[in-house]
Amino acid sequence: MSGVHQFVPLLHRGDAVGRHTLRLRDLFVARGVPSRIYVELVDPETVTETELATAYPGHSEPGDVLLYQFATASAMAPWLAARAETLVVNYHNITPPELLAAWDNQVALGQLRAGAELRTLAPRTALAIADSAYNNEHLVAAGFVNSVVVPPSAALGDDILGAAERVQRGGTGRGARWLSVGRVAPNKALHETVIALMVARAHRDPEATLLVVGKAAIASYDAALRRFVAEMGLDDAVTFAGHASDAAVAAAYAQADVLVVTSQHEGFCVPVTEAMAVGLPVVAYAQGALPEVLGAAGVLVDAVDPYGLASTIADLLEDPARCRELAAAGRRQLAALDLAGAGDRLVDLVCALR
Amino acid sequence: MSVPSPPQRSSRRDSGGSEDHDADAVAALRAAFARLQPQGSGAWNFLAALTHLSDRYSEYRPGASELSKLVASGQAVPGGAGPRRRRSRLSAADRAANSGPVATPELEWAMKQVVEAFRFLSARVAILEERAALEDVPVSGTPWLMPAQELGRWVEPVVAHLVASDPRGEVVHGDCGEGALLDALESAGIAAHGAEPRGTVALGALERGHSVSVCETADELSARSPASLGGVVLSGVVDRLPLPALITLLARVQRTLTPGAPLVVVVRTPQVADDEPLGVVARDLLGPRALHARTWALLLERAGFVSGAPLVADPASDDRRLVLSSVRR
Repeated sequence: MSGVHQFVPLLHRGDAVGRHTLRLRDLFVARGVPSRIYVELVDPETVTETELATAYPGHSEPGDVLLYQFATASAMAPWLAARAETLVVNYHNITPPELLAAWDNQVALGQLRAGAELRTLAPRTALAIADSAYNNEHLVAAGFVNSVVVPPSAALGDDILGAAERVQRGGTGRGARWLSVGRVAPNKALHETVIALMVARAHRDPEATLLVVGKAAIASYDAALRRFVAEMGLDDAVTFAGHASDAAVAAAYAQADVLVVTSQHEGFCVPVTEAMAVGLPVVAYAQGALPEVLGAAGVLVDAVDPYGLASTIADLLEDPARCRELAAAGRRQLAALDLAGAGDRLVDLVCALR
Repeated sequence: MSVPSPPQRSSRRDSGGSEDHDADAVAALRAAFARLQPQGSGAWNFLAALTHLSDRYSEYRPGASELSKLVASGQAVPGGAGPRRRRSRLSAADRAANSGPVATPELEWAMKQVVEAFRFLSARVAILEERAALEDVPVSGTPWLMPAQELGRWVEPVVAHLVASDPRGEVVHGDCGEGALLDALESAGIAAHGAEPRGTVALGALERGHSVSVCETADELSARSPASLGGVVLSGVVDRLPLPALITLLARVQRTLTPGAPLVVVVRTPQVADDEPLGVVARDLLGPRALHARTWALLLERAGFVSGAPLVADPASDDRRLVLSSVRR
């Protein structure tokens, strides 16, 4: 019986693409569609969920649809492009290599190669699915002629949704608690958050603090950021939590006053939807997909200006009514994004190709 | 996905000083962070050439998986559309965009050699960067144990001395704090620049419009051309650096000063070292402090300076600092 089989270079249980892939697999199987996950390299944590891509030819059935989760360079791209099955590309964005080159040339090279691979896949792809309109523009530019936008499924875990009931914001007599969630990588531009924090402490809120939750994606950037914090004299104000469990991330959301996003490049930004789910105000630079995903549920700062960011955050947190308005807007925006139904929509689109 | 609501935008900002000064402050802080980039500037560096060349001319080397070996070897894909050659990795559009004049086989062969040379250089650079990283000891907490101190009542004699020396070029103040000396120098018509590694301290000077680099004085001097400065004032930094770093710093001062230009050193004196406010931890980390006046004279002489009479020699005063003057030979 033909199936829909997913291909992903490496399946991480904890990242957005990994969750999305596992969620889709469960949805396909629930509909009685055979569905396996094939990887290029095995992650020990998910070894029981995956098979090596080289095993697929032995399992293939006429009518199979191959769904490629594309976020980085991989030998899977040319390998899949050479196969005869119907191919669907689910595109999660490529970080522009110029943002990475100064920190890790090998990673930058990989991203450049990923761009070439994306263009190679375009003429072979029956359907391309972007998780934001911003990402869809990349697909069109790469030559994809049949593409749609469906946000990532399983973006919001149960721990995050549970955190909405434990929110403890609005404390007095202390500084604002800024929160950053996501991989520590150059495109996230966390150094801009640190500079804004320095400005905020100098002018508006001397006790403001920043909690950074997320694993180091580029080791050299992570090391530089920690050193920068130390050299700027902010050791006591900035805490690096590293990779955290879902429960720990949920606790961080519950205790923060504002989610600060200074990314230079975002294809979707799952943490913004998590913040909306727990009613946490978001202040972000208007970059990448952030205006589209955030909508009216947060405040966008147009210019990349730490002074503007710091004053926007301080003004917002001094206005509880405005924070409540944003929380309500967040719930409306989440309903509009319909993350809960996103998986089913994607499955419908792919199954129609069988 | 539904069409999202229009986003709310903010353009309000609190200014530390004028917006120009704030923009300069942000630029200085970003420059301080950019210094920590391990592989050059944010612009494409030499490895970018490898990136582009290898994409066009070299073998496919995406990783170390069985799948990548299969693709690299150009073997048939079982059950697939048949064997593939590496060159077909690029789309026709890519080739058209990148190719320019049609490449000859000789040129392709030559470019492959260039790519291999880049790969070799890349490996060497990686090794050297690794070694450099080991020697590049991050700033520990030590500088922060000593609060940035303004020169207080020593500002006036230092400025008078510098004015009298008629500096031909910018004067750099190492550990400029919030910029009190820069204020006085600029009021006296002397172009001045500060180096201050503590970002939170430097921010004050930057927002008041001073030209300040957020970095160690030694790094600031390294970035200057030889014989380009009209004068240097060192305060604070000379009290917290260990002796080997102090010798290196003086060598850099000597390199960057024009011949005959003044160096002023504002230093704590040993008579008060035991009860100075740094505390036990700081003194332990800094090593034996402070140096005697005779030791300073020796250091300056060895570094290529001719010592003059101390501008201030008042170890019994509250400030308990010695202000030494010298000129580059």
